Amino acid sequence: MPGYMGFVESLTACNVGGEMDEIGVAVDIGTSGIRAQAVDLTSGAVLSTSISLAHPLPGANVVDHLHFALEAGVTVATRMLRTAVNRVVEGLKVPVIAIRRLAVCGNTVQLSLLQGIEVRDLAYTGARKLATLGVVKPDRRGVSIQAGILQGLELNETCQVLIPPAVCHTIGADALAMVLQSGILQEQQTALITDYGTNAEMALYHNGRIITASAAAGPAIEGQQISCGMLAAPGAVTDLQLMRNLQYRLLVLDEQMQVVQGPVVDLERASLVSSNNAQVKGITGTGVVAALCEGIQAGLIELPCIQTPDACLHLGRKLSLTEEDLQEAGKAFGAIRAGHVTLCHEAGIGYGDIHVVYMAGAAGTYVDPVKAMFMGWVPAYTKKIVQVGNTSLKMARHLVMDPAQLDVMQRLADRIRPDHYVLAASDTFKKMYMLELAYWTEGMPMTSYRTMLTRYGVKAFPETVSAPEILQAGAIGDLGNPGVQELSVVSDPGEILLLSIEGCTACSGCVDACPQSALELSFKENRPVVQLYHSRCAGVSCKRCEHVCPEKVMVLSDFFMIR
Amino acid sequence: MQLSKTMAYARAEEMMFGTCLYPVTTRRGMCLGGGEVIPEIVVHPRAGSEKSLKTLLREFERGYNDALERCVSIGHPHVCLEIEHVAQMTQKTEWGEDVAAQTVSLMDRYEERYGIVSGCRFTIADLRKPDMVHMRDSDRSQRVLEAIAACARHADMVAIESIGGKEIFDHAIIRNDVTGLLFAQAVLGGRDMQWLWPQIVAIAERHNCLPSGDTSCAHANTAMFMAGGYHGREIPHTLAAISRAISVSNTLVAYECGATGPGKNCAYENPIIKAITGVPVSCEGKSSACAHSDFCGNAIAAVCDLWSNEAVEYHSMFGGTTAAVFTEMLGYDTALMNTAINLGYEKELQACMVNSDRYRDPQSYILCPDIAWEIGKVVVEHHQSLYSRARAAALKCGELIFGDDKLQLTTYEHDALRHYMADLEKLPADEGNFIDLCLERYARIHGFRRESYGL
Amino acid sequence: MKYLEDNSLIFSRYDLFREQKEERTHRFSHDALLQEVAEHVIHGDDEKIITIVDQALEYKRPEEVIREGLIPGMDEVSRLWGEGIYFLPQVVLSADAMLEGITRCEEKMGRPMEKKGKVITHTAEGDIHDIGQLIVNALLRAAGYEVINLGVDVPVDLVVRSCQQHRPILLGGTALMTTTMTAFPRIAARLKHLNLQIPFVCGGGAVNEDFTAGFDLGIWGKEASWAVGIAEDALQGMTWSQIREKWNG
Ligand code: B12
Ligand code: SF4
Ligand code: SF4
Repeated sequence: MPGYMGFVESLTACNVGGEMDEIGVAVDIGTSGIRAQAVDLTSGAVLSTSISLAHPLPGANVVDHLHFALEAGVTVATRMLRTAVNRVVEGLKVPVIAIRRLAVCGNTVQLSLLQGIEVRDLAYTGARKLATLGVVKPDRRGVSIQAGILQGLELNETCQVLIPPAVCHTIGADALAMVLQSGILQEQQTALITDYGTNAEMALYHNGRIITASAAAGPAIEGQQISCGMLAAPGAVTDLQLMRNLQYRLLVLDEQMQVVQGPVVDLERASLVSSNNAQVKGITGTGVVAALCEGIQAGLIELPCIQTPDACLHLGRKLSLTEEDLQEAGKAFGAIRAGHVTLCHEAGIGYGDIHVVYMAGAAGTYVDPVKAMFMGWVPAYTKKIVQVGNTSLKMARHLVMDPAQLDVMQRLADRIRPDHYVLAASDTFKKMYMLELAYWTEGMPMTSYRTMLTRYGVKAFPETVSAPEILQAGAIGDLGNPGVQELSVVSDPGEILLLSIEGCTACSGCVDACPQSALELSFKENRPVVQLYHSRCAGVSCKRCEHVCPEKVMVLSDFFMIR
Repeated sequence: MQLSKTMAYARAEEMMFGTCLYPVTTRRGMCLGGGEVIPEIVVHPRAGSEKSLKTLLREFERGYNDALERCVSIGHPHVCLEIEHVAQMTQKTEWGEDVAAQTVSLMDRYEERYGIVSGCRFTIADLRKPDMVHMRDSDRSQRVLEAIAACARHADMVAIESIGGKEIFDHAIIRNDVTGLLFAQAVLGGRDMQWLWPQIVAIAERHNCLPSGDTSCAHANTAMFMAGGYHGREIPHTLAAISRAISVSNTLVAYECGATGPGKNCAYENPIIKAITGVPVSCEGKSSACAHSDFCGNAIAAVCDLWSNEAVEYHSMFGGTTAAVFTEMLGYDTALMNTAINLGYEKELQACMVNSDRYRDPQSYILCPDIAWEIGKVVVEHHQSLYSRARAAALKCGELIFGDDKLQLTTYEHDALRHYMADLEKLPADEGNFIDLCLERYARIHGFRRESYGL
Repeated sequence: MKYLEDNSLIFSRYDLFREQKEERTHRFSHDALLQEVAEHVIHGDDEKIITIVDQALEYKRPEEVIREGLIPGMDEVSRLWGEGIYFLPQVVLSADAMLEGITRCEEKMGRPMEKKGKVITHTAEGDIHDIGQLIVNALLRAAGYEVINLGVDVPVDLVVRSCQQHRPILLGGTALMTTTMTAFPRIAARLKHLNLQIPFVCGGGAVNEDFTAGFDLGIWGKEASWAVGIAEDALQGMTWSQIREKWNG
């Protein structure tokens, strides 16, 4: 490594010299992928953007990532994550030597893994279990270190790396970013902000108090765990536009992640009304919100049933949402509303008293706010909705321009910590979530729901809904200005490992069963070898490959352990 | 279009079966509503007979021949034959016309042979499914009008069971949504009829045929059917009653456009229509048990001018075919009523009819002549719009139901009605505002298109 | 027009008859106070129920209060739930209310009441997601079982020891995290080792049928209501493998 660095340094000296601008790199590590932007440190202009379409570790959520880290070893997970960061940074097409500073932002799990510190306190939640394991929680304060310390990051050894602080394991740097970058703290009236992602971090700003929580909504918010769901990536349906009757135009993401018009579909039938060139591969979280919202408004959904002839809501020939999808979505959306109501209850106000709602996270930015409100993502009584874009990447950009922001984040973390509300210990949340379950999965009518609110001693919801003013603060898309260069996309940032499995008969059962196309079968010296693409694999929560193996020789964690 | 502002009958007590204020006379000189109740028999072809024109003609010939034959064999002086189109007869104009021509020649043959004077009414199938086609501007709307013309050339009377607003109605009824019912029936159904009926009247007059009437069969009868009997809980009976009250607003449109009566048999709202317009009406009750069940088997006859059976499928029974059997029963019913008239006992018989069913159910209650008249009264008083008179009718209907202690309600019905009344009270007074509210609320309902109603 | 005073010979209002009869079936006891006890269970009123139960206990035996007030009330709740009139949150409230009442009666009796059988439930070590367990507990109690609720984040050791101590007819486990469900096979192995053949129903979002099929004693509990059905089977003496065969696969 030093040799390599030396080489790079000499390159700087002879090739670019003083003319090369100093470059900073902002990185956002999300649960579903990494995004990076190169920034000119003098002007602050974004030079280029690079994203990965997947997270390098197997799994669809942080727990899967942790699980992998526990099985394969934290060092392995850390190495894979750093390698993936390298790949994405490479996509920025800026000379490494020019990178003076790199700032990351993301949730606690990602930043801890990148930093290579203790993560077991994140993997298990019960205090009893942690005590038995003798886990000591690291303090997770913000740090500024030299890249050399983080072995494997392909940066100048002296490049400054900024890793921001976390409040606790659910309220990480990404949540702090959300609070700081959205502008919510400038609000005069009661405001609420939520990151519409798997963890659903939320903060209520009321009378100078910032109360935070995480409702753990689950991956359905982003389109996962839905039969034809997918993350926001090219080919994903993001919204539906009513044309006439039950005919809707699909809006989909193109290769450049821009929203374009897709085919026109009929929600009741598996057919296309009219098609065009747009590629449609699956539906993402915001698309699910739109489809269910339209389904309910068109009378095709009567919770918990879909009242079409085949009980599916169709989005063209191949895609459809089933009643199970509806339930999954409901469980996720319900967690958000239950979280919001609980925070209000804790603050001593009613759910209807929230004046302005900030929507953060990719889903919160792309979603049609009116539909989101209809589906319970936002209190239906809100006067104003602000969509703020990806605040995590924005925060990283600010950090990289102004390292003093690290202290600002630390001060915010210290301010929030005493007011962080642990939903796990909340009876109100438990009750509210049970109500949501009844509403979404049992079809409890809203009238009974309201009655139960009174029974629970929770302030009643107002009678009439409002038509909020809507502001788009998230610039263009959620990436902000992508820079002069074309967006680079790293489709597979993970490792690919070969395993020769004792007793394998090459029946290819596992390969066929894998929903992610993460496995391939080949032969090496006449012996079957199975290949795993880590970033595609859905991780320990899937394990379909194991279940179908007739010889019972496929063991997913064997791949994790071969290092 | 002028909405009715006055009541034809000044008092409910003046309404009686067999007579109306504006009787009509058929081509063959049969007077309807002129002092005598006349049976109106409807025979439905068996499934499969619509496969070809030949089989269909044969089926209708058998059916109505049996009906006429039974009249002459036991001595019914008059009969009215009603033919309700199966879709094919409206789709293929020639089919409808051939059946009409055949029926008329059958009637002529009987008149010639036995001297029996009969009349016939043709009810065209409304092919315009609101969720499939534009109600005004589509092949199907053209077809319907052509079919009317084809039948009017032969028939004594033409009629239709128009289905405007059905798409919203179906959505609203299963959701217990009175606002939706008002919108579907009064605003949409009524507007559709305001478009359709002037055309029917013009066509009928051109052919010297009577543009008889319409019905809210698609709405209020659906509600009645869903409400079911005492055990039925699909929808509350009070909701079915409200839907019936609302239906006055749209059914009335036909007469405001020039329809002459007799009102269609399945329009259970006819007592209210008669109170307002004075036209003859056809009714059905116990006699239509072959088609559906209701709570007003006798009471609905209290002010009828024709007495009908809704529709019975052509089959054989021990006592002959259904056509013959039902004609016999209808004829004896009317004979009883006519006897009462001629003995001067009509008030007493009417009292018997009304007492039989008045307190069975809210649905029968509101169709008793005195109550029907009161509902009619608020309808004409609120003549500002189709909506305002429908809402007034609905509110009055609820008020009357609550107002009579003898009409007992289960708690379930009671609570349901209270709830509807509260909903109705909250609605805007003005039709424009109401339409705005509804367009917002129902814009996305499957199949709804506002252009169909000129909105 | 003349109107009859009495229509009873003209028609019969079977709708009113049925409603009155239904009202009668809402009579659970001839005793007004016990009736009120039942009604408080139905309304899930866990505060007021104590007062009412105390009043009833002044002149009724605790067994009677349970048999004629608390249990019929809960049965009615189960019926309402089955008919889709009640929803889970209401069932849970009612079960809580009933439990309060029963505890009061037991204090008076000086001993626990006879229940159908004992079931231990817990949420896996390292996991705090207990809403599923909460529902399972409520339904089991509603069906007359004694539930020993070990709570959340329960160490394997404690689960095993409790089984040794209480010898339940059934053990229930809930896990919503893939990292925590691994405790279940460990518990099962320990139980087997101690020759405690207790059927072990595992539920919660993370658990699926393939997972529980992977270890002896394991049965997959898809829905909370299965807990009751499976408990009935266990009570009838079915072994874990018979139960697994019946409910899974
Ligand atoms: C509600 C919820 C919470 C609540 C929990 C409240 C509580 N007291 O339980 C809160 C917000 C506190 C929470 C916290 C966390 N959560 Co959480 N949470 C959820 C959520 C939204 C729903 C889970 C739930 O309660 N479902 C409803 C119950 C009723 O269903 P159930 O348990 O499956 O039970 C049914 C059946 O399985 C069965 N059943 C259950 N048990 C039994 C037992 C028997 C005997 C039988 C027969 C049947 C049976 O019956 C039930 C009804 O029919 C899910 C996501 C989702 N959409 O599902 C995430 C989820 C479970 N949480 C998750 C995570 C990671 C967490 C956290 C660790 C981190 C975070 N992101 O915040 C924290 C832990 C915090 C802490 N301090 O410990 C992950 C787990 C991922 C994984 N791969 O393992 C999920 C899937 C979401 C995600 N982020 O991806 N969470
Ligand atoms: S089947 Fe196996 S390899 Fe494929 S996603 Fe599932 S766990 Fe990963
Ligand atoms: S399923 Fe098992 S035996 Fe078949 S190819 Fe995969 S590992 Fe080999």
